[in-house]
Amino acid sequence: MRLKPILANPLLAVPALLALSGCNTGDYRLFHPLSQVAQVQWWATLFELGIMSLIIVPVTVLIAVFIWRYRKSANAKYDPSWSHSLGLEILVWAVPLVIVTICGIVSIRTTHAVDPYAPGVLAKAEAAQPPLDIDVITTDWQWLFIYPDQHVAAVDELVVPAGRVVHMRLTSSSVTNDFFIPGVAPMIDVMPGMRTEDTFDAPTPLSDTGFSADFSGAGFSWMQFELHIVPQGDFDTWVAKAAASPRQLTYTAFTQFAQPTVNEHATISYFANPTPQLFETVVGAAQAGVVYPVPDALTTSVASLEGGPVSAAATK
Amino acid sequence: MSTDAPPTDATKLFHPHFAGHDQISARTLGFWLYMLSDALIFTALFAAYAVLNNPMSAAGGPIAPQVVNPVEGLWQTYAVLGSVATYSLGTVALKSGNKAGVMLGIILSIVLALVFLGFETHDLLGLLAKGDGPARSGYLSAFFILIATHGLHMVFGIIWMLVMLVQIPTMGFTANVVARLINLRMFWQFQATIWVLVYIYVYMIGAY
Amino acid sequence: MQVAIQGPWSPLFGRLTLASIPYHTPILIATFAGVAVIGLVIVGAVLYYNKLGYLWREWITTVDHKKIGVMYIILGLVMLVRGFADGLMIRTQQAMAIGPNSPGILGAQHGFLPPFHFDQIYSAHGTVMILFAATPILTGLTNVIVPLQIGARDMAFPYMNALSLWLTTAGAILVMLSLFVGDFSAAGWVGLIPLTELPYSPGVGVDYWMWAIQISSIGTTLNAINMIVTIIKMRAPGMSWFRLPVFTWTTLSTNIIGLTAFPVLGVALGLLGADRYLGAHFYTAGLGGNLMLYTNLFWIWGHPEVYFLVLPAFGIFSEIIPTFSEKPLFGYTTMVAATFAIAGISWAVWLHHFFTMAAGPDVNGFFSIATMLVGIPTGVKVFNWMFTLYRGRLTFATPMLWSLAGLFLLLAGGITGMMLAIPAINYSVHDSVFVIAHFHCMVLLIGAAMFAAVSYWFPKVFGIQLDERNGLMFFWTFIAATGIVFIAMFALGFEGETRRLAYIYDPAWRPMLWTEEAGMMLYIVSIGYFARMLYVSLRDRIPVPADPWGTSRTLEFLTHSPVPFYNFAVTPQVNARDELAWRRDHGLEKTQPDAFEVIHMPCNSAIPFIIGMLAMAFGFGLIWRIWWMFGAALLGIVIAVIIRSFDKNLGYEIQPEEVAAMERNLATAGIIAEQPARKPLTEAEAH
Repeated sequence: MRLKPILANPLLAVPALLALSGCNTGDYRLFHPLSQVAQVQWWATLFELGIMSLIIVPVTVLIAVFIWRYRKSANAKYDPSWSHSLGLEILVWAVPLVIVTICGIVSIRTTHAVDPYAPGVLAKAEAAQPPLDIDVITTDWQWLFIYPDQHVAAVDELVVPAGRVVHMRLTSSSVTNDFFIPGVAPMIDVMPGMRTEDTFDAPTPLSDTGFSADFSGAGFSWMQFELHIVPQGDFDTWVAKAAASPRQLTYTAFTQFAQPTVNEHATISYFANPTPQLFETVVGAAQAGVVYPVPDALTTSVASLEGGPVSAAATK
Repeated sequence: MSTDAPPTDATKLFHPHFAGHDQISARTLGFWLYMLSDALIFTALFAAYAVLNNPMSAAGGPIAPQVVNPVEGLWQTYAVLGSVATYSLGTVALKSGNKAGVMLGIILSIVLALVFLGFETHDLLGLLAKGDGPARSGYLSAFFILIATHGLHMVFGIIWMLVMLVQIPTMGFTANVVARLINLRMFWQFQATIWVLVYIYVYMIGAY
Repeated sequence: MQVAIQGPWSPLFGRLTLASIPYHTPILIATFAGVAVIGLVIVGAVLYYNKLGYLWREWITTVDHKKIGVMYIILGLVMLVRGFADGLMIRTQQAMAIGPNSPGILGAQHGFLPPFHFDQIYSAHGTVMILFAATPILTGLTNVIVPLQIGARDMAFPYMNALSLWLTTAGAILVMLSLFVGDFSAAGWVGLIPLTELPYSPGVGVDYWMWAIQISSIGTTLNAINMIVTIIKMRAPGMSWFRLPVFTWTTLSTNIIGLTAFPVLGVALGLLGADRYLGAHFYTAGLGGNLMLYTNLFWIWGHPEVYFLVLPAFGIFSEIIPTFSEKPLFGYTTMVAATFAIAGISWAVWLHHFFTMAAGPDVNGFFSIATMLVGIPTGVKVFNWMFTLYRGRLTFATPMLWSLAGLFLLLAGGITGMMLAIPAINYSVHDSVFVIAHFHCMVLLIGAAMFAAVSYWFPKVFGIQLDERNGLMFFWTFIAATGIVFIAMFALGFEGETRRLAYIYDPAWRPMLWTEEAGMMLYIVSIGYFARMLYVSLRDRIPVPADPWGTSRTLEFLTHSPVPFYNFAVTPQVNARDELAWRRDHGLEKTQPDAFEVIHMPCNSAIPFIIGMLAMAFGFGLIWRIWWMFGAALLGIVIAVIIRSFDKNLGYEIQPEEVAAMERNLATAGIIAEQPARKPLTEAEAH
C-alpha cells in the first residue's frame, strides 16, 4: 500500500522531531498527513524546502556576511572597479537552472502521483478494490454528500469506511467552492454546471473537519462538514441510520434544500433514497440556467444569521 | 567592466540647443502602441468568441451558420475596404496640400462606413427581433459583443473624420492636423484589418 | 434592454435611494465623520491661506511630470492608509470572532463585522492595495524619475500624462465613495466568478469594483504608452540603450507588460459588465456561459500585473544598492536580460493561480515549470545585488536599509513561491492563508522598494532632507511588524486556515491570530513614525545639495535640488553609463553650462482634470444605472476631447535671462514655487 516507504517514512519523522524539540505541532494539520495522497504532498513540501534551502541559506548568509564585512567603518578591501565577472555571471544563471530542473522533475512526478482524477499513488489500491463513489453537491452554503450505491445522502457529514479509496464527483448548484480536508484530501474546485473529481484514500479511523476553501458568499465562514473515517461495521450502521431518515431526496426536495441557507452549527441531517442520477440532473439544470439567487436582503442581513431557508423559488 | 572612456578635450558635458525630438514621430509611435493595446482587446474578444463558439454554448439557440450571412458580409467587407481606399486616396491629395481632395476622400469614406454600419445594425436588430439577443446564449453574447465592439470603433472613427472635416478648412494643414490625419489613416486601416479577421473567422469559417 | 434588478429603480436617480446611505452602520458613520472632518480641515486651510488659485494653477491643471508623479504618490499613500485600515479590520475581526461562543457587537453575531461587511472589507483591501496604492505610487515614481534619469524635459505627451492621473484618481474616488453611498464588492478583489454575477451579487458593490478598476486601468494603459514613447524617443544625446539606468530599463519592461496586460483586464471586466447590464451569458454557469473564461482572462492580466509591480521595485534596488555601496551595479547586462526574461515569462504562468481548477496533470505541470522558470532570472538578480555589495563601502541610510530588507523579503517570498509552483503542494495550500503570506512577502517587498524610493528621491525632488531619525524608527517598526504578522500567517497556513473567513470556527488558530493582531498594532506605531517623519522634515526644511547622498550615480542627481520645473537648464550630454559617478570620478560634477538658452514649455490645461471628473460621473451613472448621467458624461468626454483638439496653444518660452535668474535662486523654480503667468506663444512666434 505504501508508496516510497524509504523516502516518505523518514521525512514523516520531521513533525515528530519538531514535537520532541518542544513544539506542539498537533494543530499543524499539514505536518501530519494522514492519507497517502497527503503524504506525497507533504513529502514534496519537505523536498522543495530542502532543495531551495541549498540556495536560499547560502545566499542569505552571504548577504549578511557582506553587509557586515564591507560596512564603511570596517575599512575592508574596497574595489569600485569590480562590476563584472564572466565566470560568476555564468554561475548565477546555471545554479538556479539546475535547481529549477530538479524541482521541475519532482513537480511533474508528484503532480501525477496526486492527480485528483486518478492519483498514481493510489493506482494499486484502486485496482485491488473498487473505490467508494460519492457524489458531492455544494449549495449556498451547505454540503450534500450522496452515496449512490448505498442509496443515502448526508448534509454536512462525510462518513467513509477505513481502508477504502474514495472517489468523488463534485458539482455546485450555485457558485464555485473548493473541497478541502487538510491532511486527507487535496483541494479541488467545485463549479456549477460542471463536474470535477477528487480521489483520496481513507486511512485509519479518525474524525476531522473539512470545508470549502474558495469564498462563496456571506455564509461561507460557516460552511464546514464533519469527516468520520470509521471501520466498515460502523459505516454499515451509519448507512442504515441514514436510510431510516423520513426525508426522501427527490429533485423537488433538492431544490428546496438548495435555497440559500446558513447552516450555522453545521447541523447534520440525512436523506434516504436519493433520486437516481440526481447529480447529473443538478449539473444539467445549472447548464440550463437554473440559479438559486441570493436575495439582496439576505446578502446584507446574514449578519444576524437568522436567515434560515429563504423563500425564493428556483428561477430560470 | 566599464567601457566608459575618460574625458578628453573634446568631451562635451552639455548639449546646447539640443534640437529635441521629432514630435510627429513620437506621436506616431504612441499611436502604434495604442493600436497594439487595442489589438489585444480584440485578441481577448476573439479568444472569448472561440471559447463560446460551440453547440454547448449555443444553449439550444442558433449558432454561427444560422446567425451569419457570408454573402451579405462580403458586401460589408467591400464597404469597409472601399472606405479605407477612399480615405487613402484622400491622403494622396494631402501631399499636394489639396484641401478639397482630402475632404472629398473623407466624405466618401464616411458614406461607405455608414453603409457598413447600416448593414450591421439591420442584422443585429433582426436577431434581436427574433429574440436572439446577447441574453439568449453564451454564443450570441460573444457574437454581439465582438461585432458591436468593432462597430463602435467605426463610430468613433466617423466622429474623428467629422472633426477633421471641420479642422481642415479652419486650421489648414498644421503639424497637428497632419499628424491627426496620418494617425486616423492608421486607425482606419486597423479597424478594417479587424473586420477582415472577423469576416474570415466569424462569417466564412463560421458559415460552413 | 434593462435586465431585471432587485430593488427600486427610477429614471432620475437610478437605483439610488435614501436607503443606499449606510447611516445605520456605526463604523461607516464614524469613518464618514473622520473623512468629513479631515476634508473640511483641508478645504478650510486652503481657503484660509488663499491657496485655491495656487492649487488650481500649479497642481490640478499642471502637465509637469514631477508634479503629476507627486500627486500620484500622494493619492497612493492616501489609499495605502485606507487599505491598511481595511487590513486592520480584517485582522481584528478574525482575532475577535473565534469559536461559536465568541461575542459580537455592532450588530454582528461574532466579532464586530457582519459577514457581508467583512467581505466588502477584504475585497476592498486587495483592490485598493494593488490597484489604487501600489500601482499609483510606482507609476508616480516612474513619472518623477524616468524623465530626469534620461535627461528629458518632460514626458512625451504631457497632457496625456495628466489625463492618466485624473482617470486613476476618478477610479480611486469611486472606491472611496462606495464607503458612504451603497456598498463595495463582496466577491474578492479578483471578482470570484460566478459570485459576481447578478443573482449572487444583486447590489451595486460589484459594479463599483468593476467600473473603478476599469476607469483607472485606462489611465494606467495611457501612462504605459506615454512611458514607452518617452524612453524610446526622449533620451538625452549620448544616452545609448546600454547607458540606460536599470530603473529606466525596468520601467520600460514594466510598461510593456502594462500596455499588453491591462487591455485583457478591460475585456475580462467588460464582458462581466455585459453579463450584469445586458443579461449576456459570458461567465454564467447556465445558457452557454463559461465561468473558467473569466478566471483565465483575469489572471492573464493578473499575473503580469504582479511583475508590473515588482519590476520597478527591482529597478529601485538596482539604483540604491550601488549608490550606498559606492560601486557600479554588478552584471548590468545580465540584470537587463533578467528583467526582460521575467517580463517575458510573466505571460506564460497565469494558470498557476488556479491549479485546483482540474486542468489535468499535464497542463498543471507545464504551468508549474513555466512558473519555476521565473525563479532563474529572479535568482540572477539576487546574486547580482549580492555581488554589488562585495568589496563595496557600505553605508546604511534608510533607502539602503529598505532595499536590503526587500532582498530578504524576496528570498522568503521566493522560497514559498517555488513551493506554491508545485501543484502537488499547491493542492494543500491553495486558497489557504499560506498563499496570503507568500504574496504579502512579495507586495511588502514592493512596499519596501516604494519606501526606499521615497526616502531616496524625496530630497532630490523637494530639495529638503527627509528626517532620518523618524525614518529609521519607521523602518524598524515596519519590518518587525511584517515579521510578526506574516510568520504567524505562514504557520496558520500549515494549520489549514483558509482565506476570507469572517468567523473562525477552529479555536486552535487563536494564538497565531492574536500574534498577527499584535503585529498590526506595531504597524500602527510605524505609521505614526512615518507621519512624524514627514512632519519633522517639512517643519525643519533643511536644504540639500544637488546630490543629497554624495555617492549617487545617475543623471537625475546632476540637476539641482529641488529640481527646477524645466528639469535641466541645458540638456546634458551623456558620456557614461553612470554619468554622475563618471563626472565625479573625473572632478566634473560641479561643472555648469557656459550659457543658457530659450526653454520651450507646454502650457497647463484644465481639460485632463475635467475629463477625469466626467469619467467619474460616467462610472457613477453606470454603477447606479442612472442612464442620463452616464450618457451626459460620455457626451461630455467626447466634447472635451474635441475641444482640446481645436486648442491652438503652442506652449510658452522662457528667455535665457529668466533661466539664469532662476538658476541663481533655485527656490523660485522648485516644485512648490508658484510661477508667474507666462504668455503663450502665437503661431507666428513659433516659427
